[in-house]
Amino acid sequence: METDSNGLARKGRISGDGIVRYALTAVASVTVLIIFFIFLFIFLNSTEAISSVGLIEFLTGSVWEPLSGSFGAMPVITGTVLVTIGSIAIALPLGLGAAIFISEVAPANARKVLKPLCEVFAGIPSVVYGFFGLVVLLPLLRAVFPEQLLFGSSWLAGSILLGIMALPTIISVSEDALRAVPLSYREASVAMGATRWETTRKVVVPAAISGISAAAILGIGRAIGETMAVMMVSGNAAIFPDPLWDVFSLVRTITATLALEMPEVVVGSVHYSSLFLLALILMVMVFVVNYAARALVRRTRRRFGGEQAVGRFSLPTMRDVLGAQTAARVRSGTALTVLFAASAMAASLFTGPYLTFGSAAAVTVAAVIVGKVARRLSPAIRQKAAHMSLLAVMALVLALLAVIIGDIVIKGLPAISLEFIFGFPRDGGTSGGIYPALVGTLKLVAGTALIALPLGIASGVYLAEYARDTRATRIIGGALDVLNGTPSVVFGLFGLVAVVGMLLSGLTTGYSLLAGCITLAMMVLPVIIRTTEEAVSAVPHDLREASLAMGATKWQTVARVVLPAALGGIMTGTILSLGRAAGETAPIMFTAAVAFQSSIPGSVLSPVMALPYHLYYLSSEVPGSQTMQYGTALVLLMVVLVMFAAASVIRRRSEKGVRW
Amino acid sequence: MVTTESDNVIEISNVNLWYGDKQALFDVSMPVRRNRITALIGPSGCGKSTLLRSMNRMNDLVDGCRLEGRMLFGGTDIYSPNTDVNGIRTRIGMIFQKPNPFPMSIRDNVSYGPRIHGVEDREELDEIVERSLVRSALWDEVHDRLDKSALALSGGQQQRLCIARALAVSPQVILMDEPTSALDPMATSKIEDLACELEKDYTVVIVTHNMQQASRISDYTGFMYLGKMAEFGRTEGIFNKPKEELTERYITGRFG
Repeated sequence: METDSNGLARKGRISGDGIVRYALTAVASVTVLIIFFIFLFIFLNSTEAISSVGLIEFLTGSVWEPLSGSFGAMPVITGTVLVTIGSIAIALPLGLGAAIFISEVAPANARKVLKPLCEVFAGIPSVVYGFFGLVVLLPLLRAVFPEQLLFGSSWLAGSILLGIMALPTIISVSEDALRAVPLSYREASVAMGATRWETTRKVVVPAAISGISAAAILGIGRAIGETMAVMMVSGNAAIFPDPLWDVFSLVRTITATLALEMPEVVVGSVHYSSLFLLALILMVMVFVVNYAARALVRRTRRRFGGEQAVGRFSLPTMRDVLGAQTAARVRSGTALTVLFAASAMAASLFTGPYLTFGSAAAVTVAAVIVGKVARRLSPAIRQKAAHMSLLAVMALVLALLAVIIGDIVIKGLPAISLEFIFGFPRDGGTSGGIYPALVGTLKLVAGTALIALPLGIASGVYLAEYARDTRATRIIGGALDVLNGTPSVVFGLFGLVAVVGMLLSGLTTGYSLLAGCITLAMMVLPVIIRTTEEAVSAVPHDLREASLAMGATKWQTVARVVLPAALGGIMTGTILSLGRAAGETAPIMFTAAVAFQSSIPGSVLSPVMALPYHLYYLSSEVPGSQTMQYGTALVLLMVVLVMFAAASVIRRRSEKGVRW
Repeated sequence: MVTTESDNVIEISNVNLWYGDKQALFDVSMPVRRNRITALIGPSGCGKSTLLRSMNRMNDLVDGCRLEGRMLFGGTDIYSPNTDVNGIRTRIGMIFQKPNPFPMSIRDNVSYGPRIHGVEDREELDEIVERSLVRSALWDEVHDRLDKSALALSGGQQQRLCIARALAVSPQVILMDEPTSALDPMATSKIEDLACELEKDYTVVIVTHNMQQASRISDYTGFMYLGKMAEFGRTEGIFNKPKEELTERYITGRFG
């Protein structure tokens, strides 16, 4: 034994520091258990469908008529794939064009305005997009294609709407990728006499291609999981388009199927189990997509992080085999063939075979001529043309935003009055107010925060500060990422069966505020954990060392140095996720929300009204309530955008590095 | 305050240290004399920072780091499982290579240490802040903006703030890990003056790459090479009449 002349012997066996560590470990374990329970639950519930229908039959069957016992998921899987392809065909050119404009063309001060403006798209709730689709997009499409579209509802409408919704993801991820290309690349190219546009096209975009692909893939992931908007405008008939490229056909997605059929299904039946199997298929699709995106992003980082990609096998390119000139010819030949086929497919939807091939040929010849002429122009003029086109794309994107927000604000403002805000709905929803829905939404957000914040922040801190980098933590991280990308309707499904049907079944028989809060909390938990973990890990290591070197304990260091420094990031992520929760419809429509209430319920075990569900209900079930719909949409938009604006202000302030 | 008759605040004997499988220190022994400046020199990767960081167990933060041997601080085994590691670090403070002020105000930076050790009285804290900043020769430059962010200070001022912050918990020993490598010559000379000033009341151990710095400010010098203590002695001796040929070749700049 040492003599303790310095008073440096440890006092008790368990220090305060140790207690904190045990408490955080306990909370993190609870969270991990919840996460794995969700996976287990969805998987176990889908086994019945696998055994009685058969996985292959389920995946390949071409008739989805659950009521007559046909469980062929092919039509709805096809519907999901087609709507997603269409939405990316719309979102990728627009989003990439806008990203290139913001990153490479716009002056610095314009960039500061443009980027946040594009992020507003991400703040608009899905049900508001759906509402916009119903009141603006569908009538517009009907007017443009009166013969092809009887109702307007169609694959085309779904793809346009989802395309707009995927825009913010694509713009922001590809803009980040473009900005990550080192300035020295641009300088090297310009110093050799290349124009800015040539530099963009031949140096910057190729260098950022992994990140741009990741942006496209993440956009796809966003579109696959979308429920409310696509359900409201695409007609929901579980059929194959005929011909397969008939964009005017009605389609039904997996998400819409879940949302439409879940409330009516008999618990424990094959139909019930087959919906879980659909949810599982959806999760696998989203997982594969997100995993691919992450792999691509990592590749970009490695490229610019200075690390060499070691031992990656690369196929010989077409250029190696055929030589540059032949390769170029093959490429342009392929491009023209694709263009010809695409325009023929498009034209066939409108006219007979002769005109179809005639117009396709005309388009192809026109493309060849434009290409030849463009090659003869001087670089300066080509740059001007390119920059003007990018500006046009940017303008179109902003115009879309202006139309969506403008339409709702202009038509919604007249509906706003004291009676509208503080009154109860009357006459089946065609007059009166939205007070119970507004209160209900605020309660849902508050309750979600109460459940998710302590669990999420404690777990995030545990993962960042206390957990070691073992296989277990990596599996937890992977599970979090999967849940993070899981479509909200899957959480709704889980909430209906696990929270309403099991967890709270002893307390109350139906929908309840508490069930809604728990379900929404499950949904935002992974986001809060991840953003907390990231914000905490981003605090420089030397700050921790400085504190520890003064004799601070681990917990003192975390509580007084690390958390204050990470607070901006944590709050930003948290408020964003709560804003998302406020606008979500799918998770609460089977767990908490009812259409009408004539008083504000006092108990957490009573159901509530909520703004997103109210908007969905009015616009799909109550004809003649358009003023009320616009008013509700405006109030919902305000609630969500105010939260997003708050998050953005906090982020900007904490980035400036002033006092926290 | 503990008063031991011994002149050595820290006694290091036969210390071996591993990072995972890789051994970084080999059988290192040296004393750290009270109220003197001890410099550790040697080529990059020779283990001098590792040795410094092992004196207040900052290497505990590195996964897979393992130490054998004896390291005594005033009779207490620094590495005994019964030793309060936070207590060790309270008495043996550290200044890092890169200035690392907290993203807080100047005042909060300096009062951080006393607060975590339980000082709550405002006046007492203010007094500690002033005393520490005067001690680190920063008071005149910042006394009228104590509540401004510490991140607005220049690099040299930030490093003196970090010294003030370390002084505020009244350590007995201050470990400095290349404290001037990120600073310009003017700021460097201020830090060197400060180190000499501190010597009266504190024991300083400094790791440096700069031969002139070691010879200017230190009383004792340890020359390390490949994880071993190649030579240890009074600074004049090491620089004027090194016993080892290796030491001579290094300080005359023929390798390293």
